[in-house]
Amino acid sequence: MAIRAMETFEGPARVLIVEDHPVLREVVRIACDASPLLHVVGEAQTGEEAMEASRTLSPDVVLLDLTLRGMDGLEVARRLRREGRPVKILVISGRTDDHTVFESIRAGVEGYLEKTSGVRYITDALVRVAAGERVFTRDQERAAIAELGRLARRAREASGLARSVTPRELEILRHLSRGLTMGQVANRLGVSIRTVETHVAKLYRKLGASNRVQAIAKATDLRLIELG
Amino acid sequence: MATRPSSDRLISGPSPKRPLGVIVVDPLPVVRAGLSLLIEDRPDMEVLAEAGTAEEALEAVRRIRRNRLVVLVGLGLDGEMDSFGLIRTVRERFPGVAVVGCGAKADPVAISRALFMGADGFVDKTSDPVEFLQSLRRASAGEMVLAGPPAEWLGAIAEGIERRRMAEMALTHREREVLRVAAEGLTARQIAIRLGVRDRTVTTHLTRIYKKLGVGSRVAAIRVAANAGLVSVGVPE
Repeated sequence: MAIRAMETFEGPARVLIVEDHPVLREVVRIACDASPLLHVVGEAQTGEEAMEASRTLSPDVVLLDLTLRGMDGLEVARRLRREGRPVKILVISGRTDDHTVFESIRAGVEGYLEKTSGVRYITDALVRVAAGERVFTRDQERAAIAELGRLARRAREASGLARSVTPRELEILRHLSRGLTMGQVANRLGVSIRTVETHVAKLYRKLGASNRVQAIAKATDLRLIELG
Repeated sequence: MATRPSSDRLISGPSPKRPLGVIVVDPLPVVRAGLSLLIEDRPDMEVLAEAGTAEEALEAVRRIRRNRLVVLVGLGLDGEMDSFGLIRTVRERFPGVAVVGCGAKADPVAISRALFMGADGFVDKTSDPVEFLQSLRRASAGEMVLAGPPAEWLGAIAEGIERRRMAEMALTHREREVLRVAAEGLTARQIAIRLGVRDRTVTTHLTRIYKKLGVGSRVAAIRVAANAGLVSVGVPE
């Protein structure tokens, strides 16, 4: 296993670095070691290693890259919270989109750093997060709130839509999303193709779609149906 | 309307020609007065109307024709229509008007309910007054705002919205109605009288509701519904 457990001692904050990019990992470790307030207790390259390391090494703070092979960083953050680990999480990511920032805050992390930040920012942020501060920019907070607004709008639309979409129409949509033709759907339901077409036309109107792909996309986005 | 001297204008960005109009809605007269004073003190904002009920608020919105209008809705409204109903109605009938929920130490469920109903944001009376007013400006500019509640609550608010969505999608309109009346603490017989149906109908509805919500008792059903913001239990705010 590629976890490197190092000597542990009290005093500085115990840091677990979760980063699969070798250069970045090395640079951060050197920077942390240079700080009297930080002490790297371990490094991990995948989500699984991160979970294992957090269990065995009990870090105070985790520097968590969101893009990892296999289990992604967000999932690591969620699992750490689910397991009730008293560890602070500082996320580092190349992504700055509203959705990622929102999901990170929603998952309960204490800070979000963009990869364009210099190394000095990283160690500063680690110290602050370890001390109990939240490290987010105003823009990030606004982005997360904007995304919350979108989530609320989608939820409202979905339930309004759910009230008007009949169970039959939903069933037909599910069949269509699995690739069945109108004929196959008609067979499956024991009705005429004309009946299926009527249902589908009504459904498209309700969803504001002009073809099957749009209808499925809209319904999936609103979580009326699940794909796969 | 008297024009304001230019020295009074806020020096932040392009100054709008007309002040931002605010309709202050709160059941308590003293709260309305306080909010109005706070808003009127700013040269770029003005209170166009005050309302103590949802009906009065809707009347004011109908009457006032303004390009930039924010309706500030306090959470404790009593009467036929409550605060959440007002938020939903303004959002549906007056799409160009910004509507912001306003609470006093509101909890995540109440906030998620306001957002689910279509509020353009939520400001709590615990927030800093300057931030409070700035949030109203940003809401009228189309931005989603959240002032007062700690950032840590974002997850809980999102979960509240999701729970509401799932509960709404699981239950029919009638079932939601039955649940709302049941939450007042009435017996099945009383619910039946209130809704004008037979006792048997009510118990059938309740059984189906329990099954859909995955619970085994009325108390549990009401708890799930309250957590989802589907019903109100006790005094709001």
